[in-house]
Amino acid sequence: MRRSEIRKQLRIRARNIIVQRDRRFFVNIEKKDLKRVIRRLIRMKNYTHLSTITALDTGSNIEVIYHVAFTDALVSVRVQTSKDDPVLLSIVDLIPGAALYEREIHDLFGVEFEGNPDLSPLLLPDNWPEGVYPLRKWWSPDRILSKLGGK
Amino acid sequence: MTFKIPFGPQHPALEEPVNFMFEIEEERVVNVKLRLGYVHRGIEKIAESRNYRQLVYLSERICGICSFAHALCYSQAVEELLGLEIPERAKFIRTILAEMERIQNHYLWLGLTAKEMGFETLFMYAWRDRERIIDMLDMISGKRVHYGMSTIGGVRRDITESMIGKIEESLNHLEARAEYYTKICTEDPSILKRTVGVGILRPRDARALCAVGPTARASGIARDVRTDEPYAAYGEIPFRVVTYRGCDVASRMYVRIDEIKESIKIIRYALKNMPEGSIRVKAPTRVPEGEAISRVEAPRGENIHFIKSNGSDRPERWKIRAPTLANLLSLCKMLSGVNLADIPVVIAGIDPCISCAERIALVDAETGKLNVWDGKDLWRYANEWYRKRYGL
Repeated sequence: MRRSEIRKQLRIRARNIIVQRDRRFFVNIEKKDLKRVIRRLIRMKNYTHLSTITALDTGSNIEVIYHVAFTDALVSVRVQTSKDDPVLLSIVDLIPGAALYEREIHDLFGVEFEGNPDLSPLLLPDNWPEGVYPLRKWWSPDRILSKLGGK
Repeated sequence: MTFKIPFGPQHPALEEPVNFMFEIEEERVVNVKLRLGYVHRGIEKIAESRNYRQLVYLSERICGICSFAHALCYSQAVEELLGLEIPERAKFIRTILAEMERIQNHYLWLGLTAKEMGFETLFMYAWRDRERIIDMLDMISGKRVHYGMSTIGGVRRDITESMIGKIEESLNHLEARAEYYTKICTEDPSILKRTVGVGILRPRDARALCAVGPTARASGIARDVRTDEPYAAYGEIPFRVVTYRGCDVASRMYVRIDEIKESIKIIRYALKNMPEGSIRVKAPTRVPEGEAISRVEAPRGENIHFIKSNGSDRPERWKIRAPTLANLLSLCKMLSGVNLADIPVVIAGIDPCISCAERIALVDAETGKLNVWDGKDLWRYANEWYRKRYGL
């Protein structure tokens, strides 16, 4: 896969496509373009599956990275959402296999995925306090423990 | 009348216990809901407070069975961040270890699936043969389970001349046994009855639900990280990606038995063509800023690790996705429509090790009456059902 092919298919600026190394592409996009980009990306030749979705705490934002696998590359689509209002559109209608990954991020980072029919807790227990997102940096193990009523 | 049956979750032997809520009509599963997290150990959170060297050991403890696959995946990601090129010999040793682990895992799986079918002799046979490969892993690494072989910059122990003879002897034995299991699994009527046409996953669904590993390959999809993105020494070793088109538990069984044979060939080739030289290079403790994604074909499917480094000796974020998570949605798809008696064998089919889940509770949706079953009851029910029906 080549950079120009991705640029042509996704119709985005070349500077938003970063070639990390052979077989590794990062695509930086705006939140509003997410579904359009994913829809176009999975129509490309050699598309195999969505490997996973990674979320990161970058301070004021939550960064969500969609790792889309091809037989000859791995394209990671990077999108930012603010921590105060972390909402993204769900891609389960495009890739049904994304359902569990979205649920996991919803649990651990508190990102809402609009359009995902089932965002019930996947990993956290039923009695988990609201607003505690264990993988956000602010929630240190001590803070989580005291919130849960431990020492 | 619809019954709701919670299946699982606890069992100390499982690395990924899962709770399934089955809705049953008559004896057919009509709907499945999934719940994870019963042994969520927060490894990704722990990782924020450990340095890269300590995490090699943690990565190995993500999974007890595919421990090497995780350690390899992690080491590769850190090596990429460091820009380290590891010695050729280390790449070959990694490949050999990864394939030995695959053989070990597939024999384990074959045994467990046989047990779910009530075929305990095959279970004993498969696990006896598994000991042979574990002995070899023990000989190379000094350990039976967490080998501690992969490290940042290479591997920790070498494979010596004297070991090669012993490994080859075991491989010959295991190859003959794999042939024997192919014969049993294609001819034995009770195995065929329990597996052929059971737990169907159509290629379309497998693609949509992003299935990986043998689960996808048994639905005719040749998806394998070893060929899509060759790592370690896979780029230099010829091998075949095994696929079957049956889309059922039988195909998942044949894929795995054939993969054992393929792995044996890979190990033989690697042992013969292994270059001389050192087995590791020294790695710095501080890792430069950056991001790396590493993929490995674990015995159960694609394993992906993402590491973001902030320039210190600790990662900013380490994301792990093990193959079972990728296959759970496919499993739910396979389970809808199956008979209650087929649940254990279908769950075993994707190799999640959750088929021996502890408790099962039968809730009568109308009266609210609760019958609690444990895993043994379901197992007994399943085998009785087949015995009565087909005299197996």
